[in-house]
Amino acid sequence: MATIVHDQRDNTYEDPTHRAPLVLGGLNYGGITDTVAGVVETRKPPFAWYVAFGISLALLAMLGALIVHLFMKGVGVWGNSNPTFWGWPIVNFVFWVGIGHAGTLISAILFLFRQNWRTGINRAAEAMTIFAVICAGMFPGIHIGRIWVFYWLFPIPTEHLAMWPQFRSPLLWDVFAVSTYFTVSLLFWYMGLLPDLATLRDRATGKWRKMIYGIFSLGWSGSARAWHRYEIAYMILAALSTPLVLSVHTIVSFDFAVSQLPGWHTTIFPPYFVAGAIFSGFAMVVTLLVPARELFGLKNLITVRHLENMNKIIMATGLMVGTAYAIEFFIAYYGQVEVEQFAFLNRARGHFAWAYWIMITCNVLIPQLFWFKFFRTNVWLMVVICICVNIGMWFERFVICVTSLNRDFLPSSWGYFHPTWVDIGMLVGSFGLFGTLFLLFCRFLPAVAIAEVKLVAPTEAH
Amino acid sequence: MHHKREARITSSVISLGDDAQRMIPVAFSVGLVGLGAAAALSIFTGYGGLVRFSYAYLLNFCFFASISLGALFFVTVQHLTRAGWSVTVRRIAEILAMTIIPMLLLALPLVIPVLLGWSGLYPWNAADWTARYSGHVLASVEKYKAYYLDNAFFSVRTLIYFAIWSGMAWFFYRNSLRQDQTGDPSLTLKMQKFAAPLMIVFAGTLVFASFDWEMSLEPMWFSTMFPVYFFAGCVLGGVATTLLIGLLLQRSGRVTDEITTDNFQDLGKLIFAFIVFWGYVAFSQFMLIWYANIPEETFYFGYRFDNTGYRWLSVILLFGHIFIPFLLLMPRTLKRNRRFMLGAALYMLTMHWLDHFWIVMPQYGFDGKHVAQFPFPLVEIVCLVGFSGLFVGFFCWIAADRPLVPLKDPRMSEALNYTNL
Amino acid sequence: MTTTHRPARHSASHPSGGAPAAESRMIGVLGQFDDPAALVAAAEQAHQAGYRRLDAYSPFPVHGIDAALGIRRSRLPFFVLLIGTCGCFFGLFMQWYANAASSSPIFPGYAFIISGKPFWSIPANIPVTFEVIVLSSAFATFFGMLFLNRLPRLANPLHRIARFRRASNDRFFLVIDQDDPHFDRSRTENELLAWGSTGVEPVLQDLTDNQLPSWMKAAAVLLGLFLLLPPVLIYRAHYATNGQPRLHVIPDMDDQYRYKPQALGPNWLVNRLPQYFFVDERVMREPLLGTVARGELRNDSEYFLGIKSAPAGSALRATPNQPEQTEIVSGPRAATVQDPAAIQETAGNQEPAANQEPAANQAGAAAAGQVPAEPEPDWVTEFPSRLTIDEALMRRGRDRFQIYCTACHGYAGDGDGLVNQRAMELAVSNVIEKGTTANATWTQVKSLHDPAVTVQPIGRIFDTISHGRGTMGPYGRQIPTADRWAIVLYVKALQATRAGEPKPEPPVTEGNNPPNGQGG
Repeated sequence: MATIVHDQRDNTYEDPTHRAPLVLGGLNYGGITDTVAGVVETRKPPFAWYVAFGISLALLAMLGALIVHLFMKGVGVWGNSNPTFWGWPIVNFVFWVGIGHAGTLISAILFLFRQNWRTGINRAAEAMTIFAVICAGMFPGIHIGRIWVFYWLFPIPTEHLAMWPQFRSPLLWDVFAVSTYFTVSLLFWYMGLLPDLATLRDRATGKWRKMIYGIFSLGWSGSARAWHRYEIAYMILAALSTPLVLSVHTIVSFDFAVSQLPGWHTTIFPPYFVAGAIFSGFAMVVTLLVPARELFGLKNLITVRHLENMNKIIMATGLMVGTAYAIEFFIAYYGQVEVEQFAFLNRARGHFAWAYWIMITCNVLIPQLFWFKFFRTNVWLMVVICICVNIGMWFERFVICVTSLNRDFLPSSWGYFHPTWVDIGMLVGSFGLFGTLFLLFCRFLPAVAIAEVKLVAPTEAH
Repeated sequence: MHHKREARITSSVISLGDDAQRMIPVAFSVGLVGLGAAAALSIFTGYGGLVRFSYAYLLNFCFFASISLGALFFVTVQHLTRAGWSVTVRRIAEILAMTIIPMLLLALPLVIPVLLGWSGLYPWNAADWTARYSGHVLASVEKYKAYYLDNAFFSVRTLIYFAIWSGMAWFFYRNSLRQDQTGDPSLTLKMQKFAAPLMIVFAGTLVFASFDWEMSLEPMWFSTMFPVYFFAGCVLGGVATTLLIGLLLQRSGRVTDEITTDNFQDLGKLIFAFIVFWGYVAFSQFMLIWYANIPEETFYFGYRFDNTGYRWLSVILLFGHIFIPFLLLMPRTLKRNRRFMLGAALYMLTMHWLDHFWIVMPQYGFDGKHVAQFPFPLVEIVCLVGFSGLFVGFFCWIAADRPLVPLKDPRMSEALNYTNL
Repeated sequence: MTTTHRPARHSASHPSGGAPAAESRMIGVLGQFDDPAALVAAAEQAHQAGYRRLDAYSPFPVHGIDAALGIRRSRLPFFVLLIGTCGCFFGLFMQWYANAASSSPIFPGYAFIISGKPFWSIPANIPVTFEVIVLSSAFATFFGMLFLNRLPRLANPLHRIARFRRASNDRFFLVIDQDDPHFDRSRTENELLAWGSTGVEPVLQDLTDNQLPSWMKAAAVLLGLFLLLPPVLIYRAHYATNGQPRLHVIPDMDDQYRYKPQALGPNWLVNRLPQYFFVDERVMREPLLGTVARGELRNDSEYFLGIKSAPAGSALRATPNQPEQTEIVSGPRAATVQDPAAIQETAGNQEPAANQEPAANQAGAAAAGQVPAEPEPDWVTEFPSRLTIDEALMRRGRDRFQIYCTACHGYAGDGDGLVNQRAMELAVSNVIEKGTTANATWTQVKSLHDPAVTVQPIGRIFDTISHGRGTMGPYGRQIPTADRWAIVLYVKALQATRAGEPKPEPPVTEGNNPPNGQGG
């Protein structure tokens, strides 16, 4: 085996005798810095960046206009109506929160598992997490109807209100979980950025760049004592974020599962939602990183091996989600509760059977292509599969939300859910918000963790 | 500066050697005497008769099977993730996983009575078993559940599970031993390649095994979380036993150089992680049922909390299985202390046993509404001694003279040389 | 990097330029290394050579450097554990305070039941507690790390050294402080070179500009003053009165597209045109004659009125739809108090007055001799058949009686409730102190053991409760019918306790008679 000569561009080979390199192109420490910092320091980003940014900005503007429309007219502009009061906004919320799970998972859990390949992708994934959580938090925020009293969601002492939030409600847990998750992810991300901002500061030539990067790098000097505490702090944050990342989608699943609605109340929801979140989050990371590495010349740092590993995780979590679907169906039979059986059969055969089968196809069947190395390593095919996964995961939340509400205990109130143009526009617009933030991030911040990649760079390349 | 250690075995003793041969008859005698004593105790001295013994037997069977399954999961997942750190402790887990093969023999006393139509253990094996719930049951339950809860189907399923697990354990163990001879890295590749599909098969069988063996003890109750709960306990038990055996081997002067403090710390971390995971799953399952408050589900917890003994057992599990080990296993220094970790592994195994006790034993004497009374667990403990004897016997028998650490694993160097932060 | 630095001293390379040597102070010596292994080796040697005040700088954490420099493990984890534990208790306390503490002194909320869960529901409080623990621990970790590292630190002499810019890129540095007891400039520099340094240079602290620029101070003061503005404005707004209506940023459902039931129709409001929804100009139709609201059909006069058969038209006063017609008249029959002795007298005098039936509001008129008394309705004497007379009803009656009646009538029905006591006291003191009888009127509450009451048929008692008598107000709107009957039952039971007693009860000590609560 040792006689195999590996192509430097292909690090997806399997050789147990040594670990495949995670940095290609013979980059040394300086080369890594140049590659990443170059993206930020260039005067003119690639043309495609402008195109993407323009589209994102337009969608964002549309989102803003729709939100204004919503505030002026009220939540009636959405398709939410009796009996489906949890329609698209909640579906979008759960969808985006789910997307927001990959980043912290990569930074925290893979860190604790000492998965070195996380270093190439963690920065972008964390940024994506934060932006996805912003998109997610927006939907319940504008969903509360009377937006101007949004602060009632938080336990703020007031004399005139003489009221406190209802802490036994899972919706309030959600407020705490999502805001905690956002804050901790932001801290984690910023802490990871500190040394890289220092790098940008030290390389900056313009006065403004020097000043801004200087302030935000807080005077980081890379002293051994500082690194020591930094590493311990990073590990603690990882250890804190690991249960946190599980708790967030767990609590989102509680929103549904503490109820008595058939199809919502099932005890496997917490781990099943978490697996689904990781599934969709990784799919989104792959979808974003493939064009990003092409566009900004990061192929030596975000290698095909990174992508392949992510695809394996996508396949694994997809199978977990599939198993959960199967267990739910089995228990619907085994439990012999009539309403439960109806709810599940209705998903597969009822009005929304098309949504259900889209979900099964995209979440369970299509990711099976990743059993083949060809699909795991072909960058554009994997993007297609990952987009399918995200479509499937959106429909999963749609199926859970809408089919159960449409057919609840009272047949006289059964209905069919119709989204309005505002619903659709807001979903599309939220991608604009997400894209705008992500493109700005790529342009002004190091998209790859420079210091961390150096840790796993082969020393002999130096 | 780092002094990279060579991937070479340096310990003077790396196998059980003659001790194993001496241990085997002792262990098997303890096992048979223990089981016999437990049976005699329950049948002849009025401790609840054959029914009681069968519950005690099931409890201990599930406990030890879960350890084997946890170890099997551990081995599979190490290959799945191309892990390097765990190479030095993987052989112990492989041997533990192999004990699932002789465990089939221990499953027969459970399966055969069911096949013969005995309903003392599994109530669903009796005709008209829903009668005990006195009316608050949907009429069709018994008819439709009978398709799944059928004695022949149950037995066939159990045999299928064992066939699959035995095949998996055998596959990993055989290839690992072969690598000891040849040092061929392609064997590692082969195991990696099969780890993924085997993991799926493993997950599928584990899910239904948990339904069959433990959840169907209360045939009216159902929870989709139950397999995950069972799985969390399995991994906890498997890793804790691996750690325990590793420490005991080092105490007896074996593999002293290969299993490093960092290996032990990592096993400790895994135990810690699965304590949290178990707590997470157990809490989620309880909280969702408590919150929704649907009678079809709550009664399961209801009669466990109504009975004073089981209520206390629940409290013990809450603190003893989650909070106390959570705090104790947090400090790095304690996880690197071998003496402490020996105690911690034994403690967690005790808690894991109590967890199975909590699942299995309330069903003994359950009349559809209430648990008869909290049984003084003498039969169960004697049965545990018997099972432990058999389990140790199996372990020694499988390990025999073979090395307790992979000799020529290509990733050996990694396991020897990493340091925890 | 291919550039290999010739081992040499660069004592004069001062990047910021212009700073004369006299105004800077050397604070240490810096040695550059080209790879992490060399740095660790040099650090080890420096440590062995006896240097203690030294630090290494690298673009990424170099493993092994901690041991080489003798860095002890940080205490950060303990700090985080401490804060996390506090977070746990805070999270639990917050939820307890908000949802389970019924009477909290500051920022009170109120306890309310939701989905049948206890106020203090531990399982439902676990998620938020967990999030609070994580949040507080994460803050402790991040800010604790910054604090221990003394960050932010925006001015650092090292950052003025040109070559040090590569400390965040691809070079590694060892800096030995000048105040290290082992420090000697030339020897230290030579040692650094000997340990493999590819460049040695002194670290100079510029003394000229370690003062904050003066404009910054002024700006800081201004900013501070500016930041004071909002609290000052808030304080002012809190105490000053303002005649203006409050800002109406968002209408918050104040104006709505609906019309109040008795309002004029929309056309008139909008167009000022004499066109209406309905001819009577209302926005809502009146109910049809004879409409009875759901659950409001009261055709059982025994049960709802306490009258055997409803007299046609004559007993309108007792019609349940018009209870508000019953007025509380206090004037003519009110006791006019002159002195304490007179109070007793008045109270005594009322008893015969109370015998003058019918109802109180007619009594005044009757006394004036203007309107003839209406005939007494045919009161029921038995409890209506739809009531089940049992202990539960009796308990209910006692319960309701103690809620609604005892304030005036007292627990035993003697007419000595707290309201009565206090009112009598006030009436007396008013007369004594001010010498006036204005506002000093109070009617002694009737004792239920009064023979005039005990002989009343139960229908009459029921009617009294429903519609009031004399100064007693009507309770028909507050107390459901069944409860009123329960009270009647209890009143009859109370009266029965005194039946056949020749004398008034002997005085009872307070300890034996707690419900009276006279101890005050």
